[in-house]
Amino acid sequence: MLSNMAVSSRLTDDKTLLARVDDIAHGPLAKIVVDIDQKGHYPLEIMRLLGESGALAAHLQTHGENFGLALRAMASVSRECGATGFLMWCHMVCGLYLQAAPDASLSKDLLARHATGQTFGGTALSNPMKALAGIERMALTAVEADGGFLVSGNLPWVSHIAEGQYCGAMARKDGQPGQEVLFLLRFEDASVLHRCPHFSGMEGTSTWGIRLDNHFVPTSDVIAFPAQELVTTIKAPFILLQGGMAAGIVQGCIDSMREAEPQLGHVNRFLEDRPDTMQQELDAFVQRALHLAQTPHRTDKDYLLDVLDLRVLGSELALRASQSALLHQGARGYLSAAAPQRRVREAQFVAIVTPAIKHLRLEIARLMTEELPA
Amino acid sequence: MTFPLPEAASSFQKYICIVCGWIYDEELGDPDSGLPPGTRFDDIPDDWSCPLCGVAKADFEPYTPASRPAVPAASVTQGTRSSSMVWDTVIVGAGSAGWSMAERLRTLAPTANIAIVSACEGDIYPKPLLSVALSRDLTDEHIRSKKGEAAARELGISLFAQTYVSGIDPTAKRLRTTQGTLRYKSLVLAYGARPALLPGLPSSLVWRINNLRAWQQLRQRIGQDKKRITVVGAGLVGCELAEDAAHAGHEVTLLYRDDFPLQTLLPEAAARITAEHLRQAGITLLANASVRGVQRQDSGIGLDIASPVGPGDIQADIVIATIGLETDLRLPRAAGLNTDCGIVVNPSTLQTSGPDIYAMGDCISVEGVPCRYIAPLAAQADTIAHEILGLPHSGYRHQPPKIRLKSKVAAFELSGRPCSDLPWETVENAPGRLVMQQRRGSTITARLEV
Repeated sequence: MLSNMAVSSRLTDDKTLLARVDDIAHGPLAKIVVDIDQKGHYPLEIMRLLGESGALAAHLQTHGENFGLALRAMASVSRECGATGFLMWCHMVCGLYLQAAPDASLSKDLLARHATGQTFGGTALSNPMKALAGIERMALTAVEADGGFLVSGNLPWVSHIAEGQYCGAMARKDGQPGQEVLFLLRFEDASVLHRCPHFSGMEGTSTWGIRLDNHFVPTSDVIAFPAQELVTTIKAPFILLQGGMAAGIVQGCIDSMREAEPQLGHVNRFLEDRPDTMQQELDAFVQRALHLAQTPHRTDKDYLLDVLDLRVLGSELALRASQSALLHQGARGYLSAAAPQRRVREAQFVAIVTPAIKHLRLEIARLMTEELPA
Repeated sequence: MTFPLPEAASSFQKYICIVCGWIYDEELGDPDSGLPPGTRFDDIPDDWSCPLCGVAKADFEPYTPASRPAVPAASVTQGTRSSSMVWDTVIVGAGSAGWSMAERLRTLAPTANIAIVSACEGDIYPKPLLSVALSRDLTDEHIRSKKGEAAARELGISLFAQTYVSGIDPTAKRLRTTQGTLRYKSLVLAYGARPALLPGLPSSLVWRINNLRAWQQLRQRIGQDKKRITVVGAGLVGCELAEDAAHAGHEVTLLYRDDFPLQTLLPEAAARITAEHLRQAGITLLANASVRGVQRQDSGIGLDIASPVGPGDIQADIVIATIGLETDLRLPRAAGLNTDCGIVVNPSTLQTSGPDIYAMGDCISVEGVPCRYIAPLAAQADTIAHEILGLPHSGYRHQPPKIRLKSKVAAFELSGRPCSDLPWETVENAPGRLVMQQRRGSTITARLEV
């Protein structure tokens, strides 16, 4: 009985949280979507509200590791604005790193502020994830120094960072495979941040180039060394959470298709990927994502394959739905402030952000190749 | 008098930004940053920076475009993979089952648009030959009857080779593969079974022979000299491989958990005879034994063995595990198809629980039992082809195939439906010939001749 009450009170809490997130998304966020996408407005005020709602903490141990709830909150935001959904993902993943840190100043103090949206930080693990998969070289190297590490190297684009913020990053000690250091990189001043070229959209993600030259990282900011084991456990949730972005963008596309229906339904019925079809496929996607989100700690091959495949599906659905939404709305959707054309770029972003469709397929092929003795 | 030759364009070099991947081509220069075409990289001032990500000149390195992709692209024979294309039928798996399916479908539907997706090259070869090929001194060339590409061309179908299937979307009728997503009208799962894995027998050290590629590599590894080969597991394939290796002149140990080889299949009297014959073929039999672990040693592979005489070690050059097959159920389960020990199919139509998805061969279970033999494949392919095309048929009737041990010394033939709960009665027991049978009432349900 007690546990039933606990479950039902948790469900009520989940509902309240999602309702609050919806309010934020449809309210203040909806008003500034174009500024975020085109004019580079970095919506920290929205992130603060999301933090206060509990949406940035749902997946953390302190909040019952409810990855399903985290996914749904991210979907709700991405339905309105893909860039802000992406910022949520960056922030949530950074929370996973902080949570794993041995030093209490990170895993308790900073995490508590991070989880509630009082401080902000992202992730610079795109390159290391690809480097560990043998796709590209590890960009950062570290050498041991008195009381920590000196880190050098450059990263071209890291999001959700700014002066006074931070991100999880990884370097290879002495460039040696197997000697990876996962650490918190703090931007106390802006000297290591370099402006990126103009992107075609999602400009408000505060994306910077990072250049480090013997940058000192104190031992207290080291999250894991060697970091392989932590990366293995974080990999599936890292990828799975991105499903929230995909789901939200697809739902936004379906909204746009439905919006056009009263006026254009008589011609739109000649299009492929109609709203009912897409909704059916999206619902199946969300159901599967929520199912996989129940066991975020699994690291076995079958689970990883399921997560990788789901991520491919998310990208493919987003690409199809955004294309179709634009075709459904026609010229109106092609206006520079219209949602359908913005979502085309958001969907393309989902398909190319690490792990991109091609990376996922490479990883799937690698995992499925039969191993034979050397 | 000599004139300096004009610099050939090909002597211009390219340099790549190791941070963002932008390429500086000396021939083109970087006019936006004031570097005219033809500016040598060495002549670029040190304060120049990457026009894309802004890092310094020091973060560039010479770039030679790869002459070919580091990982060869998977080949697609014929066809297209435009996402808007809808295949009439996609077949997953290019073993005996997949090819039987493709052939039958092509015969009945000359214009159907058919694709076959295969994790390997899709070459056609009789798989049973793999467990007798060493002693016959065959090469993969002998074993392979046709290249996958050639077979696909002849049948007018598209072969997606080296392509893995990661997901099925039954409602949207889409198959996600590592070469793209294929839309289908009907789907046939014929991807077989894989050798069972045990943590104590890691694939990095222990061979499993379930396809031509694995056999080919094993053959290469064995080389020309006499080797110490340990076979773990004494089912049909284990006994065949052990005998094959012994006939090929190798020093063979056959290790198994039961009292006798083939004990799950044969009555004790027959299994005893098989054991004796294998021993006469020069094979060392190690009964009631199990492998606790293996490790690489200087002299080969060390096996840590538990047996009634206590623990012990054996050394081998090559260890082959033949502990049985299992169906990889990740794919059908993720797609929400019904499974038990295999993909559950309607025993008469071979349809799975998913719309327009059929399954055949080693990956299915018929009434809860897998059937991993070649014999039923033709009838299964015929049934599914009729179902897909909406042609009348009398329904698939599963007939347990005759089971033979491909052996020079210990051959037997088993027919009917042997059941481990029923006793075996001896019909004839003459020197060199043992005939036994099982009965339910007055009906003979299984017969064995050794």
